[in-house]
Amino acid sequence: MPGILGDVFIQLTWQSALIVVLLGFIGGVLSGFTGSGGAFFMTPGMMNLGVSGVVAVGSNVAHRLGNNMMGAIKHAKLGNVDKKLAFYLMIPALVAVRFAVWINGLLFKGASGEEGAQVAGAAKAMSNFYISAVFVGVLAFVGIFILRDALGSGSKDDSGPSMKMANFLARMPLHPYVNFPVADVRVSLWLVLLVGFGIGYLDGTVAIGGFLGVPAMIYLFGVPTSVAPGTELFLAAFGGGLAALSYAYQGMVDLRLAFLLLLGSIIGVYVGTYGTKVVKEVMIRTVMGSVILLCVLSRMSAIPVYLRKLQWIAFDPGLDHWFEGLSTALLFVAGIGGAGLILALVFKANMERRKIHEALRVTKPADL
Amino acid sequence: MPIIFVSGLPFGGGERLARELAQKLGYDFVSREEIVAKANEAGIPVGKLEVAMIKKPAVQERMARLRERYLAVATAAICEKASEGKTVYYGRAGHLLLPGVSHVLRIKVVPEETQRLEAVMQRLKLGQEKAEKFLKEIDEDIRAWVHFVHGVDMDDARRYDFVVNLEKVGIENAATALCTFAQLPDFQPTPSSLAAMEERLLRARARIRLALDERLQDAELTVRSSEGAVTVTYMPRQAKLAPLIPDVLKDIPGCRGVRCTMANTNILWIEERFSPGSQAFKQVNELARRWDAAVELLRFIPAAVETQKAAQAVSVPAAPVMKRATGGIEDDVADKAIAEKDIAFQSTLEALVGGGKSGGGQTVSGNRDHLAAAISPTVPYSLVVVGDLFLGKGESARKRMTREITSFLGGQVKAPVITTGELGVKLRFGTKEISKLLGYAALVALCYGLLFTHQETVLDILGGPFHKGHPWAAVGMVAVMAPLVAALYGTVASLVLRLLKLE
Repeated sequence: MPGILGDVFIQLTWQSALIVVLLGFIGGVLSGFTGSGGAFFMTPGMMNLGVSGVVAVGSNVAHRLGNNMMGAIKHAKLGNVDKKLAFYLMIPALVAVRFAVWINGLLFKGASGEEGAQVAGAAKAMSNFYISAVFVGVLAFVGIFILRDALGSGSKDDSGPSMKMANFLARMPLHPYVNFPVADVRVSLWLVLLVGFGIGYLDGTVAIGGFLGVPAMIYLFGVPTSVAPGTELFLAAFGGGLAALSYAYQGMVDLRLAFLLLLGSIIGVYVGTYGTKVVKEVMIRTVMGSVILLCVLSRMSAIPVYLRKLQWIAFDPGLDHWFEGLSTALLFVAGIGGAGLILALVFKANMERRKIHEALRVTKPADL
Repeated sequence: MPIIFVSGLPFGGGERLARELAQKLGYDFVSREEIVAKANEAGIPVGKLEVAMIKKPAVQERMARLRERYLAVATAAICEKASEGKTVYYGRAGHLLLPGVSHVLRIKVVPEETQRLEAVMQRLKLGQEKAEKFLKEIDEDIRAWVHFVHGVDMDDARRYDFVVNLEKVGIENAATALCTFAQLPDFQPTPSSLAAMEERLLRARARIRLALDERLQDAELTVRSSEGAVTVTYMPRQAKLAPLIPDVLKDIPGCRGVRCTMANTNILWIEERFSPGSQAFKQVNELARRWDAAVELLRFIPAAVETQKAAQAVSVPAAPVMKRATGGIEDDVADKAIAEKDIAFQSTLEALVGGGKSGGGQTVSGNRDHLAAAISPTVPYSLVVVGDLFLGKGESARKRMTREITSFLGGQVKAPVITTGELGVKLRFGTKEISKLLGYAALVALCYGLLFTHQETVLDILGGPFHKGHPWAAVGMVAVMAPLVAALYGTVASLVLRLLKLE
């Protein structure tokens, strides 16, 4: 697809616009269902459409800007935000966001085509490779962890590997410690700074900071499950906000993509959230782990093309088409399969619920 | 005679005081250790639960289920013991076990710190510094445990009827004073308080029975009871387990029936006089349908001002109002009014059962503290709706007092608290909402229209030649447009869902 303004922004057709809306919807369903941001599907989806990785990330964080702010306000009203913890995490996170955007910008430099097509192609390939590598590295770990956790959740043992890590960290003399009153936890300042930096880096690089933030708060800090997502969202409203504005400053936000994603994602989030109420938790985690791993495989399939363009490996350029096709197919299997499964589960649960609801209407005290 | 709860910290003299008091009154003494042993027998690993709670559990849902079961075992044990005879219980937070039961005397023991420290040093063979550290840590753990199990601060003075400061008073004298205090009419059983205890016992037995059934062990169930009828609320994803519930509960002593309600969440509705034909019922029912929620009824009968003043005059914290058994015309009139309200309450409950939305119900009388104590901090309510209260007052006073109690409850419970009037406004979808929907939809269409008909200009600002000279223009555009369109479109989506009664 020919780009405009060099190769920075893609030319949108009705077809590609509808695909972006669909990406937003599927991302929204997955996001509402799994409680994650949905960027793990939307970002690679846009990259498969020919959008540069860095613009896909920038547009994604821009589309989440408003949602994060509204979500953070709602959680804060319900008392689900530890503002002190969010503040402590925010300082390193904002530094890391700037650092991540700076790296992405540096790698993408020259992609506008002013220094020649070859330089532009190499810059774009380098940037895409870097984003894909971080994406694959982080999400492969997260996907395997979630899937393993889901498939092994039949065990009644409370002490999983994550608690071992928490206990190990609790025993280490990592002074000074800070008390966080809402979450009711006491955590080493160094640990908070490290996690904050990690969240900011992932948010700025691939817009998936929540994959580190929520589990780290729950498993490493001991924050209650009701407070961790609210605090993460509060943090994301600032960290994600800074990332969006930083990308905008570097000219890497396509507002058209952000608007189209928004069109699908708000409806998708509603459907996905409803799904969590009628589907078993183990099924939620299984779907989440499977979809993430398929997204990882999809991105891995695209990496050889970037490596060839960087001249780090050599093969027939005619094969690019096959690698890209495989990547797109895997992504759509992940997205459409995951979202379709969620919709089917919601429909099935709704039907079962109606039947039982009708049956239970006749149960009255006098019956016994 | 009252059930006496003595609450204190380890090595603080509370147990000695409780034993002394039991001996003086001729009561049975029960300690926390007996409750913990019963809980362990029922398969609840209390020690493991304590350790896991202190280390901040990752699997909170499972911990919450164990907590509910522990509370049920403790409540059942205390109620069964109390029904056998007179009881003095010593523990960390026994005073929180029977909310809504008025014939309990709740005593807090403030220890004499030097003696406490010496006791620890002597019994555990520790140096002063280590003993101080030990006491500090154990006190913190106990506070965290009480907060985890009961959801409240164990030092909250409003939850006690008497505080004994052992820094000033000896155990012997304190026990003598408490013997007299326990004779006060405020702490004696009444038919209503005994009925409340029966309800607590029934609920606890039902909870234990459900917990002990292997098929239901992992189910998230909320158990309520009202006048012998047990209401069990379960999550839609556990719908297949629902038919098992009546079977498991069928032969519990005192159980007149079982109601099962499938719900995602709970709404608490507080009224003085319920009616299934009222506008408020329609509104709450409508909201419950949209949210897939169970509605729990709480009938609140505000204490008469005179009773509160009388209670304050003898410097004793007000207890829930007791029905005086003096006979006479006035009492008969009051009884008749209460009976009529009971019928309305029951018919409202039946109407909810008929619609599959019942979350059970209870009645509480007293002041706002008693009302707050009756709201379980461990039940995850999504909303608390306050209807008409203080019906005996004039309209202005009624509105003011209802507003005050709504505001008070807002600070006491985690869920949002609104009045039935406010709920009506939120559910209404009239001309104003339609205008808002059309206006916002037009603005969204305008934003999208402008963006896609001026793509070249917009992209020039975002990353083209214009951007090179004015990068802050792109920042401004993203900072304004992204949240603005998200807010406008979010509002449109929310209004459409409200219109379709799906939000």
